Amino acid sequence: MRRLELILSRLAWFIPTLVGLTVIIFTVSHIIPTDPVRILAGENATAEQIEALRVELGYDKPLPVQLLSYFRDVATGNLGVSIYTKRSIAETMWHRLPATLELTFAAIFLSVVFGIPLGVLSALRRNSLFDHCLRVVTVSGLAVASFWLAMELQFLFSMKLAIAPLNGRIAGFGPDEVTGFMIVDSLIAGDLPMLGLVLSHLALPAVTLALPAAATIVRFTRAGVLDVINSSFVLYARAMGIPWSLIVWKYVLRNALISTVTQIGLIFGVLLSGAVVIETVFDWPGLGAYAVNSILQSDYKSIMGFTLWTGAMFVIVNLLVDILHTLIDPRSNR
Amino acid sequence: MIGNTMRMAALVAVATLGLSAAVHAQGKFVFANNSGYDNLDPHAVFDVGRAASRINFYDGLYRWVDNPPKQIPWLALSHTVSPDGLVWTFKLREGVKFHDGTEMTSEDVVYTMERMLAMNRGPSPLFSPLILPGTTKAVDKYTVQFHLKEPSAVFLSTVTEIQVVNAKLVKKNEKNGDWGQEWLSKNVASTGSYMLRRYDPAVGFVGARFKDHFAGWGPKYFEEIEFRAVLETNTRVLGLIKGDFHGTDGYLPQDQVERLRKEPGVQILEEESMRVFYFALHNNRPPLNNVHFRRALSYAFDYDGFINDVLKGAVSRNAGPVPNNLWGTPKDLKGYTFDLEKAKAELALVKEPLRPIVIGALAGFSESEQSAALLQNALRKIGVEVKIESSPWPVISSNMQKEDKMYDMVPLWKSTYYADPNNWVGELYGKRYWAIRNSSYYFNPEVDKRLEAALKTSDHEERKKLYEEATRMVVDDAAGIFVYNTKWYGPYSAKVGGIRFSPVGSGQEMRWAYFK
Repeated sequence: MRRLELILSRLAWFIPTLVGLTVIIFTVSHIIPTDPVRILAGENATAEQIEALRVELGYDKPLPVQLLSYFRDVATGNLGVSIYTKRSIAETMWHRLPATLELTFAAIFLSVVFGIPLGVLSALRRNSLFDHCLRVVTVSGLAVASFWLAMELQFLFSMKLAIAPLNGRIAGFGPDEVTGFMIVDSLIAGDLPMLGLVLSHLALPAVTLALPAAATIVRFTRAGVLDVINSSFVLYARAMGIPWSLIVWKYVLRNALISTVTQIGLIFGVLLSGAVVIETVFDWPGLGAYAVNSILQSDYKSIMGFTLWTGAMFVIVNLLVDILHTLIDPRSNR
Repeated sequence: MIGNTMRMAALVAVATLGLSAAVHAQGKFVFANNSGYDNLDPHAVFDVGRAASRINFYDGLYRWVDNPPKQIPWLALSHTVSPDGLVWTFKLREGVKFHDGTEMTSEDVVYTMERMLAMNRGPSPLFSPLILPGTTKAVDKYTVQFHLKEPSAVFLSTVTEIQVVNAKLVKKNEKNGDWGQEWLSKNVASTGSYMLRRYDPAVGFVGARFKDHFAGWGPKYFEEIEFRAVLETNTRVLGLIKGDFHGTDGYLPQDQVERLRKEPGVQILEEESMRVFYFALHNNRPPLNNVHFRRALSYAFDYDGFINDVLKGAVSRNAGPVPNNLWGTPKDLKGYTFDLEKAKAELALVKEPLRPIVIGALAGFSESEQSAALLQNALRKIGVEVKIESSPWPVISSNMQKEDKMYDMVPLWKSTYYADPNNWVGELYGKRYWAIRNSSYYFNPEVDKRLEAALKTSDHEERKKLYEEATRMVVDDAAGIFVYNTKWYGPYSAKVGGIRFSPVGSGQEMRWAYFK
């Protein structure tokens, strides 16, 4: 019951959140002292040509009118057309989404698979050499700048050891596009060498993204486990003779994961909105790289489209995290 | 007369190219570009970063090749000009095929010009001040006529940018009178050397040799070319070293060029380009409207220190606005030297009160930011305070085009859009380009008289004299601080041969290149 109420209340806030976000982004993007129409018109354009283009693009209208017209478009699923490419922004983002999703899923998978067990082990061996070493690694993982890490990984694994590709989602163009997910498309095509290439290209950017994410997960899992492990129910379970491994991996972990799941949700939201730096360094043709290009070109509409997407992702991910909480901890569903 | 000359040039060009119909595949060439290919429409984009899609997929009436750049006949074989300089008639090459097998005719050229004028984007501003919509005529199947509003000596230099599209095909894909913009942004409808094979705006493009190209092919040229957007400099450099790419952009930071020089699998091709680095000064705002103040600025820049120490001698001193390697710049032009005593003497002649000067440096362009810091340091020594505001190029360029928002100074480059002195001294200091490209808001009636006269006469010697005089006056007025002319350091795999650099297009035309 509580779960349903939660979903409904979150959904009720969905639209107002996006409206507020749009108003802020629209205002901020129009405060920036640059004129996209002038840039689009080209260096040789005369004042008359610039004004004609301004009228054509609707940039001559008052800002509230432009904002209202933007809302109207967004309501119909139309994020507008890029002033540079004249292509639909929604279509372009849709086209780039699989690249970002593939990278995000890979990074989350790696960070969860390594982060949670290491966090548990670290808590169980508190203040041991293993715990101290892991602390150094996790603090480094959080402190190291991601672009630096990316370049170092490129240098080591691509240049020195030559065991991983340097950049891109694939060398040039990948398998024929069916879903846009290259792993899936390679499997559909039955092209296993292509699948190998796709996975090898995914490795370095996914590891670069996964390292700080895994570090966060390790720290939160460790803290959660330490918090729960001294609870009376654990003592009771031990007294009942339940095997220690079962207590830890089933009962303790379930109770300890609540804050970790929140963190995973936040990381997931950040990655889904495009890992801007990593996508740029590795030339990963996803939403992050699209955002960078749009910002460099002062392409307002594309920037707004991307920001709306980011906002929507955070709202959805938060909702999923809340639902997950009720599943992990049934008490919160009462 | 001009027509005969061009006909001769056509014969020479074809003979020197040694083109034949023989076709032998020679692999795929991969280029890592520093900007994305988000639009393939040749009439929508017009910048150096995306030159590769325009020059490899499309053909213009004439073509710029080599360095110093020279125009060779391309889709057009020759041209004549009416005595009043207003009617330009081009004779087209017969039998030129579009990629879909249909023949290119004068109707396609007419449609191309109308499309450019209507779209008002990319290269359009080169033509819109000169040609009215509806005035371009197809005289017969292979003859096209442009009617200019006023005589223009630079029109010929710009016909390379009339990149002809397949009118029938584009018309078929027009939507709501958009001149096929949406369709042509991701498709190609041309006669060019390469046909579009794959395109992804997020990745780049692959082009396959167009076997029926009118110029034919030699035995060794690339079967496929792939241009990928690789925005991160370090990744482009590492990729070239590793062999993932066969070439990348020729204006890398000097430390990266030096790094590449040490790699056995990489060659660095050097050419003096035509890309002048200078400070645009706001000539119409106190105290910069005082020639003595501007001269003080010109004496306060450490040219040798910047060129030899900061840039490690990788560029050559250019004392005026026109590149040294182009006609129109006086051979004995001395320009200014770094001399703080002279700067102080000039400053003493400035009677109006001084104020802090703002330099708008290009964020992310180290040379722009470093030169601003160098000048700031020197000016402080003579009592002029300088504030540096670093902003991205879109912000800077937007502000430069408004007189009240233009910074006091902006250190930047002027690239080659067409190889004529008007591209530099004319556009940077002519009144007709005020606020468009003349962001210095400079006006000197004597300079303007010469620049206007040079635009209207077709006598080369006369034009040369006029541009040299105008250049001397601009330098004497210290209308800008002219620093250097860029050298192009083309980083290519050692396996690649035949790169034919031209400042127009920055050596990205691949039809001449091959694997050794």
